[in-house]
Amino acid sequence: MTTHSRGIAGFQTLTERRPPRRRVKTGDLVTLFMLTFAAILVLMPLLWMFSTSLRPTADSYKLPPAWLPTQFRVENYLKPFESSVPFIQLFVNSLRITLAVTLGQLVTCSLAGYAFARLRFPGNNTLFLILLASLMVPNQVTIIPIYLSMVSWGFMNNPLAIILPGIISAFGVFLMRQFFKTLPQELLDAARVDGAGQLRVFLQIAVPLSGASLATLAIITFNSVWNSYFLPLIFLKSWDNMTLPQGIALLTGYMGSGNPSVVMAAVTMAILPVLIVFIIAQRWIIEALTRTGIKG
Amino acid sequence: MNSTRQSLLSPKWGEALTGYLFILPTFIGFVLFILYPIVESIRISFMDYSILRGSEYIGLENYVEILSDRRIRTVYGNTVIFTLFAVFFNAAVGLLLAVALNRRMSTFIRNLYRSIFFFPLLVAHTYIAVIWRFLYQKDTGVINYYLGQIGIAPVPWLSQAGWSMAAIIILDVWKNTGFAMLVFLAGLQNIPAEFYESAQLDGANERQIFFRITLPLLSPTIFFILVIFMIGALQVFDTIMVLTEGGPGDSTRTVVMYIFEKAFQRFDMGYAAAISMTLFAIILVLTLIQFRISRRWVHYE
Repeated sequence: MTTHSRGIAGFQTLTERRPPRRRVKTGDLVTLFMLTFAAILVLMPLLWMFSTSLRPTADSYKLPPAWLPTQFRVENYLKPFESSVPFIQLFVNSLRITLAVTLGQLVTCSLAGYAFARLRFPGNNTLFLILLASLMVPNQVTIIPIYLSMVSWGFMNNPLAIILPGIISAFGVFLMRQFFKTLPQELLDAARVDGAGQLRVFLQIAVPLSGASLATLAIITFNSVWNSYFLPLIFLKSWDNMTLPQGIALLTGYMGSGNPSVVMAAVTMAILPVLIVFIIAQRWIIEALTRTGIKG
Repeated sequence: MNSTRQSLLSPKWGEALTGYLFILPTFIGFVLFILYPIVESIRISFMDYSILRGSEYIGLENYVEILSDRRIRTVYGNTVIFTLFAVFFNAAVGLLLAVALNRRMSTFIRNLYRSIFFFPLLVAHTYIAVIWRFLYQKDTGVINYYLGQIGIAPVPWLSQAGWSMAAIIILDVWKNTGFAMLVFLAGLQNIPAEFYESAQLDGANERQIFFRITLPLLSPTIFFILVIFMIGALQVFDTIMVLTEGGPGDSTRTVVMYIFEKAFQRFDMGYAAAISMTLFAIILVLTLIQFRISRRWVHYE
């Protein structure tokens, strides 16, 4: 493997002598083999989850493991609903909290992001930097006083204990501010000249143009709240308030390792919304994560 | 409109007022859920805090207790070991995958593999841990079956200290290395093609190009990934809570799990707050280093 490593070099090899070209191919094959091996390692646990969810319970411990579904026991997918864990309730609880936080963040972050990007007021920069600095504060530092606040406000075992702290986001404000900064000033000025107030300019000009950024924020927030475990574990104590990750962690415990099929059916269903969002919005998610450096 | 009203509602004042109103919701939240909690956390860390029987200031006693608490040594030791290994392997595997994906190949294949490596990132730690708990079973687990095929005796992944730590590190790399890959890939694609072309003209081989061009130009990205992963790893909680619950013994218990136990299971809030301050200090230092160095490196090109 001598001459090249990037696209342009590949073009050159077409005109070159034969031997380098053959070496090129070996290199590419090794790469492809390595990538495929890694991809298999990544996919196997998920494939195991899916095929186990469709097997009769007795088969799930058979070794060697069958990677493809041996049978299609679709009824496994009904069993979580019949178990002592109120699956539908958990799903609804998770959805309610996730939607409330996501919508809340879209409102607070686009308002504040717009103000920091386009409106002049004393302290604009200082306040933004203070807010940004709060990204350095880990969850575990603030959680104890937040817990004590929730106790004194009577919000223990109440979804509000998770929703209220969730609907602001320094990261979201940052993301929206970066977007609103790119809007051409003439556009906003034109509307002002026509007599529109600040709020109208924001609602009728800026927000309609920010669809992609709002979608990015919504997806990142949705995913992180949908998956969160630490906060629900602290605040939500009864079945009628718990979230899906809590329920599935408990489902594993409840049924012990006795029934992988049912647990895996439940996990598959819980992952499904994430998979659908991923397939639809992959490009945005990848771009946003790369640009902003926020890890799932 | 008379003139006084006009001056109060002049565009400038109107704009400032709108600005403050727009940031108001965020700042109410900021004060209630970030600023006040930080200050309060510091205060509580100097107290023997109890919701039921009242609290009193005890000065530095919580911090002194940290120094003599043997479990603190264990959980910080575990956290450091986890962090070192998880950060190293996440970054190394991620870099390897990114370099491989950056080679000449069809866009379809590149995007397909990128999506596959990236997907675990979006799935909750909880669910991943639930799946892997089955895979890691000593006698019935899939992993030990395949290890058995190549002649390795059953590994007590979740039931023996040491192995349990290896188990959570492997799981963490499986889940998170896709993020490192993504960022490295973006970093690699930002390296101007001219660098490679002129190196080729000079007759450099692929290894020389990697070590003399790719790696140095990628160093800001590598540093960024190391710090981001370090901050994340220091706070690890969800996966371990489900996979091992900190066991066997305390062998996989991390600082955050210990804070959780002290604060929300034993309700020793003062002591828990003091521990969280030590973690805060470490993360703050890391973030500031990252900030300083990335500022220096931004003007690299």
